[in-house]
Amino acid sequence: MATDNKDLHNEEYEYDTLTNERLISDHDYDGIKELDNDLPPWWKWLFYLTIVFAVVYSIRLFVFYSDDLVQERKFAIEMECYQLEAAAAGTDDASVFVEITLLEDDASLASGKATFESICAACHLADGGGLVGPNMTDNFWIHGNTVEDLYNISTNGVIEKGMLPYKDQLSNQKRLEVVSYILVKLAGTTPASPKAPEGTEY
Amino acid sequence: MELQKFTYDNKLTKLFMLVTVLWGVVAMLVGLTVAFELIFPNMSGGISWLTFGRLRPLHTNAAIFAFVGNGFFAAIYYSMPRLLKTPMYSKAMGNIHFWGWQLIIVLAAVTYPLGLTQSKEYAELIWPIDILVVLVWVVFGLNMIITLVKRRVKHIYVAIWFYIATWVTIAVLYIVNNIQVPTSFLHSYPIYSGIQDALVQWWYGHNAVAFFLTTPILGMMYYFIPKAANRPVYSYKLSIIHFWALIFLYIWAGPHHLLYSALPDWAQALGVVFSIMLIAPSWGGMINGLLTLRGAWDKVREDPVLKMFVVGVTAYGMSTFEGPMLSLKSVNALSHFTDWTIAHVHIGTLGWNAMMNFGMIYWMAPRLFKTKLWSVKLANTHFWIATLGMLFFSIPLYFAGFTQALMWKEFTAQGYLAYPNFLETITQILPMYYLRAFGGTLYFIGALLFVVNVWKTITSGKFARYEEDAAPAKHAPKAGEGWHRKLEGRPLQFTVAALIVIIIGGAVEIIPMYLVKSNVPTISAVQPYTPLELEGRDIYVREGCYLCHSQMIRPFRSEVVRYGDYSKAGESVYDFPFQYGSKRTGPDLAREGVKTLPNYKPDSWHYNHMVNPQQLNAESIMPPHPWLAEWDLDVSNTPSKINVMTYLGVPYPEGYADQAVADLNKQAHGIAEGLRKGGIDVEDNKEIIAIIAYLQRLGTDLYKDK
Repeated sequence: MATDNKDLHNEEYEYDTLTNERLISDHDYDGIKELDNDLPPWWKWLFYLTIVFAVVYSIRLFVFYSDDLVQERKFAIEMECYQLEAAAAGTDDASVFVEITLLEDDASLASGKATFESICAACHLADGGGLVGPNMTDNFWIHGNTVEDLYNISTNGVIEKGMLPYKDQLSNQKRLEVVSYILVKLAGTTPASPKAPEGTEY
Repeated sequence: MELQKFTYDNKLTKLFMLVTVLWGVVAMLVGLTVAFELIFPNMSGGISWLTFGRLRPLHTNAAIFAFVGNGFFAAIYYSMPRLLKTPMYSKAMGNIHFWGWQLIIVLAAVTYPLGLTQSKEYAELIWPIDILVVLVWVVFGLNMIITLVKRRVKHIYVAIWFYIATWVTIAVLYIVNNIQVPTSFLHSYPIYSGIQDALVQWWYGHNAVAFFLTTPILGMMYYFIPKAANRPVYSYKLSIIHFWALIFLYIWAGPHHLLYSALPDWAQALGVVFSIMLIAPSWGGMINGLLTLRGAWDKVREDPVLKMFVVGVTAYGMSTFEGPMLSLKSVNALSHFTDWTIAHVHIGTLGWNAMMNFGMIYWMAPRLFKTKLWSVKLANTHFWIATLGMLFFSIPLYFAGFTQALMWKEFTAQGYLAYPNFLETITQILPMYYLRAFGGTLYFIGALLFVVNVWKTITSGKFARYEEDAAPAKHAPKAGEGWHRKLEGRPLQFTVAALIVIIIGGAVEIIPMYLVKSNVPTISAVQPYTPLELEGRDIYVREGCYLCHSQMIRPFRSEVVRYGDYSKAGESVYDFPFQYGSKRTGPDLAREGVKTLPNYKPDSWHYNHMVNPQQLNAESIMPPHPWLAEWDLDVSNTPSKINVMTYLGVPYPEGYADQAVADLNKQAHGIAEGLRKGGIDVEDNKEIIAIIAYLQRLGTDLYKDK
């Protein structure tokens, strides 16, 4: 590293009095001097290491087309892995059968309430009074009022009216919970600013 | 050797120093405002020019160009004459530089809140102001170069190498990124679109960080740290190596802002590897700064100037390690679009840039005013409050970014998104936004102490405008100088060498993106926007929607399930400028209009949501935009916009400009009619109709047949 040995002091050079390192002669900029220290070895090795990383990385992409660096392939693999896993575990949506009956237990209704407030409330408002979507509290229904009717709408949506299908976002169980919550808890309540009735009275 | 006498004029240094203080406070105040707006979305009170989307560019630009920019101009006007032993060449050019730059800042502060923007981050200024920027920059550069030519010191010091690199590179970046075709005095379209525009923009954006927030500050560091500590620079060899390595490597790193986007793999890979290779050159600057303090650490304990410098340089080291880590694709997959990035950049600005400015001014103000710093104690208090403020700002945002990224990616055992509602992931991190605002408040209080201290200092002293100095005339180079030493004696060649070195990276990345067709594969289903959608898109740009909503679905299962098929380069070929965004404070909108996807919302939802988002989602942090439903859509410029689009290669039928407004009215009528049927009282000609048309178009081209 630096020439820090006093014995090496030499007439030609000036030395920094505090570190005994050699100053570069004739480097004086508005009183600022510069030391003649070498690059710190750890710094040099850090630089070399990052260059090695760059070379290896480039070879992996440009020569070997490694799967993790080719974006399209990496995505295809991620999706494939998931499908294989899901098939092996038997946990994909279609395989979880839910019997469509009204749920009235507290746990299901509480879970349904949470889903309603986080997702459905965006159009139907948290108290069910309706805004973009219809009022869920009155006795008027556009597409029927049985648990099967509501479950079907939550599953497939009513695209032309802006109601989304939720079969890919919420499990069968979650959808059943939320329609149960609507029918058991919300129906018949009085929201803050109810939307005018739509559909047929039941 | 006979000494020649000459005089330094400190007037411009003083002016630049004072406006640095002023704009620093303004930048932080606007930053604090937008931080609070993210917690209290109704704070803007439905006033267009107070909303987050309008103010955020003002905050970033004020911090970068007004606070940091004026700070390093003060540094240059102070250090350069002293390093070269000659006054700055022209007072008139200096005055044009100073007043021109302040005019640009004032124009920015007026135009951004009015929504006049190009939407390219840190290059939002509209075209007439861009021209002004270039003119002022040229005057500044000429003044600097002629001063170099007239110098008395043969060799130029490392600080000046960095000033030179700053000047040439910013000139190249700013001009190339801002080539645009005006449609009116206040509006233009860039000549680039989609992924090509994104590449040029982030080549610029990243190197604005490199050459506006890094190289000039390194120059500042190389002058003021040795001066303040009265110590020699640690290693001249390290200066040479890290300078050239830094400016050569930095320019390639831009694509790391577009990892996992529609940018081709090869360009992304260049962004990754050059970012990693930047660690050592960046740290070269840090260690050369810190090791210069060897033997002066006892002073660091006492002196607030050196304390500020130490934390500044350390923060520089931290963020230049973090940056390359964020450029690894696996880390970026988590960090991108989250508050992690916000935390990262604030280590850079609050830590590195601001601390260096504070330290420099605490050192410079007493010298310019021939007095002592009014209160060392107050400066030390400022130091601690600022350091704490920075930590309170950043650490919560690291947590926020990490938490939100994991929530976005989490699936239930049944294979559903664990948090299908985007809002849940915001509600979860909102406490972190409170802490960030607290950290920002602390930092701001520290800045006010700084203002008081500087004010008291300068009023207690007397400004010494002229300073006498003497130096021998420039000597001839000695025989047997090394090649770099020779170059240091030839500033013009040095400038040209720097220019060549910084051009390579950008050219290798950008030129093939234009010439090689496979980089942007054509998708025949993708059609130009209708005139109404185009106007809606311009409103989207005006309101700064891209600052919170991305339009770039990355190829991950978690994003494809949430937002739909990942974004392709061919989809945004008519996007002048691109709107990919860089942050998701709200959900991605790339496929907002696709009816079969989870994010789809009917027109009436958009109407209600834009006017009053909290009515639909009580916890939403989107600011209300009621004026969109009140203001009439201005179609006077529509034909001109269509003409410029046609000129830029968008395939509208010939003469379509004449028919555009009629088509626009027809489409607007259809949408307004639908809204009226749903009970919403709205006229055809309101701006909100155009933006709804645009949102409902987004991402639909690929889904037309499905």
